[in-house]
Amino acid sequence: MSHLRGFYLLVAAALLLPLIFPDNYYVTVVGVTAALHAILAVSLNLLMGYAGQISLGHAGFFGIGAYASAILTTRYGWNPWPAMLFGLVLTGVVAFTLGRPILRLKGHYLAMATLGLGIIINILLVQTGSLTGGPDGLGGIPTLSLFGWAVDSDLRWYTVIVSVLLAVVWLVLNIINSRSGRALRALHGSEVAAEMMGINTTTTKTGVFVLAALIASLAGSLFAHQQAFVSPDSFSFFFSIELVTMVVLGGMASTYGAIMGAIILTFLPELLVVFEDFEVLIFGAILMSMMIFLPQGLFVGMQKLWRRVATEESRRGAA
Amino acid sequence: MALLEVHGLSKSFGGVTAIADLDFGVPEGQVYSVIGPNGAGKTTLFNMLCGIYSPDEGSIRFLDREIIGRLPHQVAELGVSRTFQNLQMFFNMSVLDNVKVGCHLRTRGRIWSNALRLPGTRREEKQAERWAREAILFCGLDDYLESHADALPYGVLKRLEIARALAASPRLLLMDEPAAGLNDTETKQMRSLIRQISGTGITVLLVEHNMGLVMDVSDRILVIDYGSRLAEGPPEAIQNDPRVIEAYLGGEIEYAV
Ligand SMILES: Nc1ncnc2c1ncn2[C@@H]1O[C@H](COP(=O)(O)OP(=O)(O)OP(=O)(O)O)[C@@H](O)[C@H]1O
Ligand SMILES: [Mg+2]
Repeated sequence: MSHLRGFYLLVAAALLLPLIFPDNYYVTVVGVTAALHAILAVSLNLLMGYAGQISLGHAGFFGIGAYASAILTTRYGWNPWPAMLFGLVLTGVVAFTLGRPILRLKGHYLAMATLGLGIIINILLVQTGSLTGGPDGLGGIPTLSLFGWAVDSDLRWYTVIVSVLLAVVWLVLNIINSRSGRALRALHGSEVAAEMMGINTTTTKTGVFVLAALIASLAGSLFAHQQAFVSPDSFSFFFSIELVTMVVLGGMASTYGAIMGAIILTFLPELLVVFEDFEVLIFGAILMSMMIFLPQGLFVGMQKLWRRVATEESRRGAA
Repeated sequence: MALLEVHGLSKSFGGVTAIADLDFGVPEGQVYSVIGPNGAGKTTLFNMLCGIYSPDEGSIRFLDREIIGRLPHQVAELGVSRTFQNLQMFFNMSVLDNVKVGCHLRTRGRIWSNALRLPGTRREEKQAERWAREAILFCGLDDYLESHADALPYGVLKRLEIARALAASPRLLLMDEPAAGLNDTETKQMRSLIRQISGTGITVLLVEHNMGLVMDVSDRILVIDYGSRLAEGPPEAIQNDPRVIEAYLGGEIEYAV
């Protein structure tokens, strides 16, 4: 199917990378973080890029998933899988009950409300120390195990998280290119016209908010087991902003763009460590110039550039 | 009994009365036009008919069911579709996808079935594609099928809105100034498009300032001024009605297309 052409490339890249570079730090360690960020960025992009509803609190749902897994497995001795499921249910309930009133807001007001939501979740993680371990975090989280196959090496974590990323991307691409995805995009284009075409904009908004939150929660659970340790810092307001930056940097309303944004924002700091004190400064300068020169985001910008080069080539070929 | 029956409809915004105690009925299968000077309340009337505004008083019955109290998507479910005076395009989508959104109510696939691309979804996608292409062809937009909506000229967008509304296969189509901003050629195309739509059996409720077009395509015309009914009847009667001539620019109406 045509809407999955890019997806097959992604699958090929995900398979080949660890084969070409086995035990490479940038593939199986940084790469796994990038893949986890990509899951989050793809889910946020569904909400922001496609449905046009901004959220500055996405890290909060990532946190709910992570802490549900961390607390239930370490303090209550649950098996990771039902703990993960519990995290999903909890996230779903929170996103659904808060999503309805919040999503009545638009633009800056929606940004403020979701920002508040993220901050409240973060404060709760810090304040309920007896459960969450407070600012010190919670360690000793067991690793995942699939039918006796323990996820206990970098390569295995790569396999698990990249597989989840691919599954999420496949589902999201299918959604985008179908009736429900068109409803999301219509919402972004014109709410009143979407309603007039029979789309219940209220339930559609809540639905996509819940879906994005569920994906973030799943990523959170995986993160907790992979790191074996969680602390509130990983789910702060700053991380929500970083996720928004990934989506905007890659190009709104492009799933591949979101993945690209996640990869760049994960790798750039790694590569910039050589600049030591100037790292953050250069990081900021790169982000700023990217947005100035490619305001529609990297993915769309590069597509356009590529098209221009291709037409130049064919013109030269014809002449 | 008329397809659409409006009784005692009133709506005011703060101190401004937009619609005042309005009565009319739209018989099935007709092209029924609502005309009146700028600010007469035509768009406000449309917004009430499709559930965007709720009236202060009155009733709106479509197929003998009350419209008031329903949300726009519920009104759409009853078989009402519309176009907008100020374009409400999905500029973030292609022409084909814009029109496919029009098929929303004719398909059922839920998000999980879409996400897994189950056989039902595949079937529906093909069906939606066929319906959308039909509507696009009907409105003469085949050249723009794959174009992105934000790259299209105004005249094409006006027709694209109609194609999207038609893809919903409505019983009643509300058109708010479809010829506004169009040149002469485009206006002529629009006139024949409205006739064609009516020819398929869809009832058309038209708001339009181009009198030549209105007189030409309408079966009946309702004239409103300051939200109240000024006159109602077939085009010939309206053209010669002194109150209508009075209301329009103090007696000068351009009937040329
Ligand atoms: N949302 C609103 N809030 C306040 N006043 C409104 C609103 N919508 C319409 N009005 C007022 O109601 C009156 C009728 O406006 P409406 O847009 O219905 O006129 P119209 O007949 O469609 O005019 P036009 O031919 O210019 O499109 C005007 O005085 C307008 O200012
Ligand atoms: Mg108007």
